[in-house]
Amino acid sequence: MPKLEHPLTRGIYESREDGRVQVTEDGKTGVFDLDGRWHSGELRQADPHMILWVGGAAAGGGMLSAGAPMRGGTPRPNVPPKLKTTSRRRGGMDADPHSTGRSSEMDLGLDGKKALVTAATRGIGLAIAQELADAGVDVAICARSAGGLESAKKDLEARGVKVYTAVADVGDGDAIRGFVQAAGEALGGLDIVVCNASGGSAMGDAGWQGNFDVDLMGSARAVEAATPLLSDSDAGAIVFISSTAALEFLGVPQPYNAIKAALIAHAADLSQALASRGIRVNTVSPGPIFFEGGNWEMIKNAMPAIYDRALGQCAIGRMGTPEEVARAVTFLASPAASLITGANLVVDGGFTKRVAY
Amino acid sequence: MSTAERAPELPRSSGISYQQLLDTDTHPVPKILREESPPSLPPTFVPIERYVTQEYHDLEMKMLWSRVWQFACREEEIPEVGDHVVYDIGDFTILVARDEKGQINAFHNVCRHRGRQLREYGGRVSEFRCPFHRWTWNLDGTLKEIPCRWDFPHVDRDANRLPSVRVGTWGGFVFINLDPDCQPLEDFLGDLSRHFEKWPLENKYKAAHVARVMGCNWKVAQEAFMEAYHVVATHPQLMASIGDANSQYDVWENFSRAITPNGTPSPHLNWQPTQQEQLDNLTGRNVDGPPLMQLPDGMGARELMAQAARMQMQAVVPGIHEISDAELNDSFYYSVFPNFHPWAAFNRIVYRFRPLGNDPNKSLMECLYLEPFRGKRPKPAEITWLTEEDDWTAATELGFLARVFNQDTFNLPKVQKGLRARHAAGGGTVPLANYEEAKIRHFYHLYEKWMGLST
Repeated sequence: MPKLEHPLTRGIYESREDGRVQVTEDGKTGVFDLDGRWHSGELRQADPHMILWVGGAAAGGGMLSAGAPMRGGTPRPNVPPKLKTTSRRRGGMDADPHSTGRSSEMDLGLDGKKALVTAATRGIGLAIAQELADAGVDVAICARSAGGLESAKKDLEARGVKVYTAVADVGDGDAIRGFVQAAGEALGGLDIVVCNASGGSAMGDAGWQGNFDVDLMGSARAVEAATPLLSDSDAGAIVFISSTAALEFLGVPQPYNAIKAALIAHAADLSQALASRGIRVNTVSPGPIFFEGGNWEMIKNAMPAIYDRALGQCAIGRMGTPEEVARAVTFLASPAASLITGANLVVDGGFTKRVAY
Repeated sequence: MSTAERAPELPRSSGISYQQLLDTDTHPVPKILREESPPSLPPTFVPIERYVTQEYHDLEMKMLWSRVWQFACREEEIPEVGDHVVYDIGDFTILVARDEKGQINAFHNVCRHRGRQLREYGGRVSEFRCPFHRWTWNLDGTLKEIPCRWDFPHVDRDANRLPSVRVGTWGGFVFINLDPDCQPLEDFLGDLSRHFEKWPLENKYKAAHVARVMGCNWKVAQEAFMEAYHVVATHPQLMASIGDANSQYDVWENFSRAITPNGTPSPHLNWQPTQQEQLDNLTGRNVDGPPLMQLPDGMGARELMAQAARMQMQAVVPGIHEISDAELNDSFYYSVFPNFHPWAAFNRIVYRFRPLGNDPNKSLMECLYLEPFRGKRPKPAEITWLTEEDDWTAATELGFLARVFNQDTFNLPKVQKGLRARHAAGGGTVPLANYEEAKIRHFYHLYEKWMGLST
């Protein structure tokens, strides 16, 4: 029940179960109705606006909820594995001097494929493009500004694949459709589409619109435009990037959460509808992912309580890295995942608690 | 009230001044916040009869409402050809419509035959047709058709177009003026555009619009929202983190501004809240609740609240990371004579106050929320109409501000009752604070000119 301190008198105003407000000031107590009329006790005069405020909060809910208590416990030493990042050039063996000619590792079958990744100049998007490029996949990437695309292009070309870049606002229907077309032309076809762009986590109508336009419509339109190209592939694959925010309540309802959930449902539908065309559709739902310049770094600096709470919820004791998400996406996008379609792969280090049947 | 004379400065609160607070900002602050135009003497005493008599209401209709620029609607409410709204003030009823050329026109909303009100509410039509005898006007107000035209040789077509009312637009608002010889809107508004240059109101959309009948004169209602002096009694829960008594007030030609900072303690307090306590107050934390956000060492409440706001808005506002703490924390409330109150920077509020019909003891208060948007302009919100019996919280689109309005509304009908009582007992005057009630003083300075009351 809401309980406030009067800034001038330092009296405590407390709302009660019966809808009245109890005021304690200088050791005396009084009970008041919401309109300020005294009901009982020794204190007979209290600030009616404080009564209105505290009582109103009880009726209409508090301004902000304090959230779940912080979970304690020392993070277990869990470090992301260092896996081979040598780029596998076209032809397979050349780049690996220790190769015996026969790989004992799983062959993902990605060499020579062509992929499109939206919003791929930083964070998870860039890591996905890098992982695909290392596997020998030509990539087409887009972003809203040219600066990031320049450096991403250099980075990806150095991995030995063809790279097509374009400035495109994924929230603009013409732009995303145009980008898919142009990417298909530039790369000579498309086998893989990864829908990673997000409109952020604003609130209110603008937030809803932003997430609707970028996360949902951006993905739906990219799929529509890419389907004819993917049908021509012998291993068409689409991966949507959703989020654990769609799966469990984080403390604040956000348009982002609901729209990310919509993506999971849409991917499941698409997986049935496009199966006959040889196109698989899956979703990856990352939990909290920490990287330089990302949201969780900013939250760690500005709001350590929120950061610590989220960190505490990660069963493995640390947040994820973009590379770990990229590997999951790459696997699902690859011919090695040929039987997997309509799945939602949660990549969260045990952040969510539900059993994912 | 002339600012040309270097009048001696009025006494101010002992709390930190707004200009000193701006010096502590973590980002560069806009120059417009550094411009000052403080009020001067002599003191203002407002005769009570202005608030409670029919006589003054009638005089206002004749000398003010029929001659002054007032905003009728937002441009975004009438985007397409044929879109129109109805704006009523006193006995006047005005039709504001967009014609085939895309131009906005305004007319007296009355059929030229036997006087029926032409349109009762807004919408989209291709012509204005009277529901009584079907006299019809084009969207530009020219007369289109009179059934049985042969029966009206004495009715001249040009003389019976709908009489025009002057129209002007500013900041996405459509203003009307019932005086055909009035000065242009831009001249009346003067420098106002420069004040809103960084946060243009035309680039926002109307996300909420709530109208409520108030049990008091329109000026009594309006004046409650033109000063921060009332926070000490009316919104005491805010005092640990609001600069009420040390707000800054500036007056210009036809508009004035108040700046009330948040994230700074009220000078009324006899104790000093820590930054964490101020943050807790800003976020509405309960006495025994855990803090929602913990301040890192060396960071103040203002800085943290601004950081959180920047994160929230980054998807919608380009360049948000260059915006100052001041713009994201503080209240900048302007008043444009007579009844238009747009708030600047990132606060969404716009207020409008009008008399309700011809009753000096009732008024209509409206609160609009204007918000930034990305991509396609969202549809403007419909108006939620509240009666005098309705709690403001019935309009859920207002969020927590509704509870603040409840606190203001708690006082207002009792102010009207008290003023009527004093008037009945022989009348008197309302003495206004020299500095903190400067916006109200500035209003009456202009009011007296318009009403022909100045000597």
